[in-house]
Amino acid sequence: MSPMKLCVPGESLCSEGDCNPGAGVYLRHGYIYSSLAGFVLKTTEGEKLPVISVVRETEAQLLPDVGAIVTCKVTSTNPRFAKVHILYVGSTPLKDRFRGTIRKEDVRATEKDKVEIYKSFRTGDIVLAKVISLGDIQSNYLLTTAENELGVVVAHSEAGAQMIPISWCEMQCPLTHAKEFRKVARVQPEYLEA
Amino acid sequence: MPTDTKRVRGPDVSQSPVLLGYKPAAVLASRGPREDGRQRDQVDVRPVFVRCGLVSQAKGSAYIEAGNTKLISCVYGPRETDRKDETDMKSGRLTTDVRFAPFSCPERVPWIQGSQDKDLSLMLHESLQPAVCLQRYPRSQIDVSVMVLENSGSALAHAVTCASLALADAGIEMYDLVLGCSLQQVGSSYVVDPSYLEENGWRCNSSESRGGLTVAFLPSLNQISGLQSDGEMSEETLTAGVRTCIEGCYKLYPVIQKVLTKAVRRAAPPST
Repeated sequence: MSPMKLCVPGESLCSEGDCNPGAGVYLRHGYIYSSLAGFVLKTTEGEKLPVISVVRETEAQLLPDVGAIVTCKVTSTNPRFAKVHILYVGSTPLKDRFRGTIRKEDVRATEKDKVEIYKSFRTGDIVLAKVISLGDIQSNYLLTTAENELGVVVAHSEAGAQMIPISWCEMQCPLTHAKEFRKVARVQPEYLEA
Repeated sequence: MPTDTKRVRGPDVSQSPVLLGYKPAAVLASRGPREDGRQRDQVDVRPVFVRCGLVSQAKGSAYIEAGNTKLISCVYGPRETDRKDETDMKSGRLTTDVRFAPFSCPERVPWIQGSQDKDLSLMLHESLQPAVCLQRYPRSQIDVSVMVLENSGSALAHAVTCASLALADAGIEMYDLVLGCSLQQVGSSYVVDPSYLEENGWRCNSSESRGGLTVAFLPSLNQISGLQSDGEMSEETLTAGVRTCIEGCYKLYPVIQKVLTKAVRRAAPPST
């Protein structure tokens, strides 16, 4: 394999007609320029123009975006919403802490008015959720668990043991056999990345 | 004046013992070669030593040394903003912080950020902001800090270069690198990349008009992102000075490119 071409921000890579811009590049006056310091990568798919992008060995910092599946940890709950810390975006761990909120009406898709946060999440639960909004000035990232595949994946009982899901809304402690309410996720392999 | 009670402060007026035996030239020659042997009226910048990725805690960092001017820059983020306002929602926020180490100047400076540091921070922010793709980082903040370890003139120009290098090292998306160059005009002649004495030693003597100029330049976009000028300069000398500074930036460009590619290659050997 020939050594890959290296580039620095602002370096002209090719003209717009030769390639489609991918990640780590930008388009200006019909030319594609690099916006990162990294390796130039060209990928060809079928008959289309090759996609040119600039990649770095260390993964570029991802930020939670609308529609992204995130893994988060519940830090506090109250009757209206649960506060969480976002730990992963997809399968990429975040370097910094980002805060998010799951509102009561976003916990599940049906019977929204009967949702009780205390019966859905507890502090310390690991939750799969989807970003629905980046939020406004007052609020943080808004998240939802209103899908079967989203919800609590890991929870610990009062006895401290990791609980086993027994239905979509209940989990059981293997030590005391006590049942606790949770909005349980039906974990799908494509979501199970973290 | 605010004081920091948590640090042991040195005496207010103290000088490095090296400097006690050091007498500044009473009159800086305004003709002939400069003190360090460089040429006057030519784009004769000091050779630089640059390295990326020295600070492991930071996302990206860079160190630059030009003559005796030594700076280190760190970039943290993108992280969640602490302060929220409307503009943050669409694009990120860039914060800059320039500090002088107490031992950086011939005279000791306090740890607390003075007005000079704040001015430089603001200028650095102005110079860097157009180069960073902030709209790719909504709701987040990128922190850039520059520490001047030794100030031997042209601190702002090198701070700009150093900070942009640290940003690139951190993998922050940028339209272009930012390079800085400064110039000191003395009457009809000028010195590029002035030393501390050439920058500050003129206050006492000379009746000629003098002025300083610092330009932050985006070499690939061919744009000036920051321009700072003080002292007295006529319109012609100013425009000529800007052109000279740009030339100085182009001299720096290949060095910076080389350092950056070296840093990328070291992070990921091409064999993989």
